[in-house]
Amino acid sequence: MLKNDLISKNPLGAFNVVTSGDKSSERMGLIMARAGLGKTAILVQIALDNMLKGKKVLHVSIGQSIEKTKAWYDDILADITAGSKPENLAELQRELMGNRMIMTFNESSFSRPKLEERLNDLIYQDIFRPSCMVIDGLDFGKVDRASLEDMSDLQAKADLNLWFSALTHRDNSEVSPEGIPAPCNKVADLFDSVIVLQAKSNGESKVFLNIVKDTTGCIEPGKTLRLDPTSLIVWGTRF
Amino acid sequence: MKKDLEKVRNIGISAHIDSGKTTLTERVLFYTAKIHAIHEVRGKDGVGATMDSMELEKERGITIQSAATYCSWLKHDINIIDTPGHVDFTIEVERALRVLDGAVLILCSVGGVQSQSITVNRQMTRYKVPRIVFVNKCDRTGANPQRVADQVRDKLNLNAVLMQIPIGLEADLAGVVDLVKMKALYFEGANGESIREAEIPAELAALAEEKRELLLDAASMFSDELMEAVLEGTPTEAMIIDAVRKGTLALELAPVFMGSAYKNKGVQPLLDAVIDYLPAPAEIENTALDLDNNEEEVILKNSEDAPLICLAFKLEDGRYGQLTYIRTYQGTMRKGDTIINSRTGKKVKIGRLARMHSNEMEDIDMAGPGDIVALFGVDCASGDTFTASEISMSMSSMHVPAPVISLAIKPKDNKAQGNMSKALNRFTKEDPTFKTFVDHETGDTIISGMGELHLEVYIERMKREYDSEVEVGAPQVAYRETITKMAEFNYTHKKQTGGSGQFGRVGGFMEPFEEGEYEFVDKIVGGVIPREFISSCDKGFKASFEKGALAGFPVTGIRCTINDGAAHAVDSSDVAFQLAAKGAFKEGYQKAGPVLMEPIMKVAVEGPTEFQGAVMGSLNQRRGMIIGTLEESDYTVIEAEVPLAEMFGYSTDLRSLTQGKAEFTMEFATYRQVPKSVSEEVITAVRKKAEAEKK
Repeated sequence: MLKNDLISKNPLGAFNVVTSGDKSSERMGLIMARAGLGKTAILVQIALDNMLKGKKVLHVSIGQSIEKTKAWYDDILADITAGSKPENLAELQRELMGNRMIMTFNESSFSRPKLEERLNDLIYQDIFRPSCMVIDGLDFGKVDRASLEDMSDLQAKADLNLWFSALTHRDNSEVSPEGIPAPCNKVADLFDSVIVLQAKSNGESKVFLNIVKDTTGCIEPGKTLRLDPTSLIVWGTRF
Repeated sequence: MKKDLEKVRNIGISAHIDSGKTTLTERVLFYTAKIHAIHEVRGKDGVGATMDSMELEKERGITIQSAATYCSWLKHDINIIDTPGHVDFTIEVERALRVLDGAVLILCSVGGVQSQSITVNRQMTRYKVPRIVFVNKCDRTGANPQRVADQVRDKLNLNAVLMQIPIGLEADLAGVVDLVKMKALYFEGANGESIREAEIPAELAALAEEKRELLLDAASMFSDELMEAVLEGTPTEAMIIDAVRKGTLALELAPVFMGSAYKNKGVQPLLDAVIDYLPAPAEIENTALDLDNNEEEVILKNSEDAPLICLAFKLEDGRYGQLTYIRTYQGTMRKGDTIINSRTGKKVKIGRLARMHSNEMEDIDMAGPGDIVALFGVDCASGDTFTASEISMSMSSMHVPAPVISLAIKPKDNKAQGNMSKALNRFTKEDPTFKTFVDHETGDTIISGMGELHLEVYIERMKREYDSEVEVGAPQVAYRETITKMAEFNYTHKKQTGGSGQFGRVGGFMEPFEEGEYEFVDKIVGGVIPREFISSCDKGFKASFEKGALAGFPVTGIRCTINDGAAHAVDSSDVAFQLAAKGAFKEGYQKAGPVLMEPIMKVAVEGPTEFQGAVMGSLNQRRGMIIGTLEESDYTVIEAEVPLAEMFGYSTDLRSLTQGKAEFTMEFATYRQVPKSVSEEVITAVRKKAEAEKK
């Protein structure tokens, strides 16, 4: 019951549509924001939605430890399940843990071929077959178009719902015609969905999720959601 | 003569296995003139390192028990506890940390922060032990102290700050640059005993400046005086040392030193750092529980004149008879004094008091607050508190993990039988994670502990130290049973076979209880079960937990609620209600979906990246759940949770899979339900064994 409740409440669930034969769940998505606004939290919430639906998620973290990545999941799960019975929670945690694997790299040791090699290790030995992969911490300032095209191939080959986070900088104000900021403005066409987090402050600070692009037809571009700046949980109803 | 407490340091040296703790301690003893020659851990001279005093330790090249030693440096007394690196002996590390004021965390410059270092660091955090870091083995190929310092930040969450930078690395390691003095230090002489101070080599000047800036930035957070001096460009050595000391004691800074103990480089500056940055006993707040005042926490005074309180943290039965290592927290202990063991209330007379240096000793007449000394022939268990007769206090208890693996042992002959009991008696007193009992059904003696190696070492010690050879059965996992759903019971125990009869009816329900092992809830109204028999019901349920009906393993995690029942004016008794509760438990248990639970271990495998796929495959085959992988250049760590039952013999498999290049550590994580197919196998095996024993 708790699981179904959490699935139905998650506004980000629209990004993980699971209708049979619906290709919209296999997409390449991007979360963009300045430092500290909650990119990782959004990725974790997308991952949790997949995990709750029984799908396997591979969380690739560049530059963060396994412990820290695990802590993100524990914290967000604790927040969204606050008030639930502890026995139900323990069971849910166990179940979800089996649906998640964390892979961490330091920046210099991460590359697309290496990631594919690791993914194949998991799939061919039947250790873990992810249907969703989130990549957190990739430096888009240093990644060229060819590598991202390569990623897009990998996503298609492995039938993945693949999400990235990207850091935007104040000092680079370039924007693509669709409204996607640098450093991803020139590779925006490679992504099916792009969410940009923006902080606005008039008295109280608020963070909004702007759906800048969605070509899968699940969500109408231009929609916004709100993020609780303390817990970094997305508020609102399903689209 | 009053001792200057400011000039005492009680420190531990802890780290991952093979990081070179014992080698470093050997150098420390040499430079402080405690020993006059250096012996290597697996040295060609066959002597072995001084701290590895047990024969077995010398043979295996690992430290099993922490030996306490004492030395002097710059007119300060340093008590050192050398602690084991293998996780199976974690209790030794925990005990050592409980009595220490500061610690040196040794990390390998190639391996960096490895899994055991994370465990040790967590333990140090639990006991609030200020620590400094020594990056050892800088002479090894692939050495990278900066990377290790970064890992200290990322993986241990410590505010690591470099106090030195290396002059050359790997085979070219020549010395270190001291970032406080801004001088180059070279270690010369046959054993690196003479230190030559020189100007910083020109090619390192810029790097040294850059790192010093970082050091000053970090240190000035703890001293306004230093901050002002930095702004004015006039920071002094004393100001920097004082600020770093403040940060370290507040557990907010972890100064990083480096060198190579094996090549005799960087050890003396580390000794200086122990004096400069680790606390004196008076700077640490210790507490005890006042047994006369509802166990209220009392802050201890680091005074020689206060009533004595000390803690026995380690027992050893060596060539001097029973040795008890004691740390005093307040007061003075003198030869001839009578002290009280606050657990047993027994009086103990101090016949002989000594300061230990590995397995040699120095007789002393008195010990003051902060001292670590040994008593002779005192009967106690480790963890016992001793006090002066006028007070009744106990040091807070130490965290002791439950054993997860057991072995059946049988003495080979009659002589071995007697010696075995003596050995077991001593080992259980020395090590609270080592337990022993006799299985009444099979008559076997069962020993249980924290891992295969843990038990192996005790079996080996029985043979060597007690001449008691034993036959060893296959290792047994400590399975448990529990229930998965709520179930009702309503059981009547009735017996009428002449004489007075027995009657009792117990009704209620049982349900899973996650928060603990067992809870009894009494919801009887209207006296259907008389008050005097309520506790009999509790006793009956409790007794049922010893052996589950599924496969005879201990039962855990159940709440039993009674809400109905019946009694007979004549035939009801304590025994009748105990038996009724047992019957009720049995009835409910069958309906409550009983399952087997098994210990799950947190396993970390570390090794070259090329073997990552193979290692993950091997863990997967063992029903392991891979939590995550960490990849750094050519080095990978794989973290997984694997059932203990599947981990037997893994070291051999791992060796052959990785050409001996990977290693693993494991520690107990939790109990989890056994998958159905495996559970059936276990239950069948248990039943077959029981039948075979009957025949």
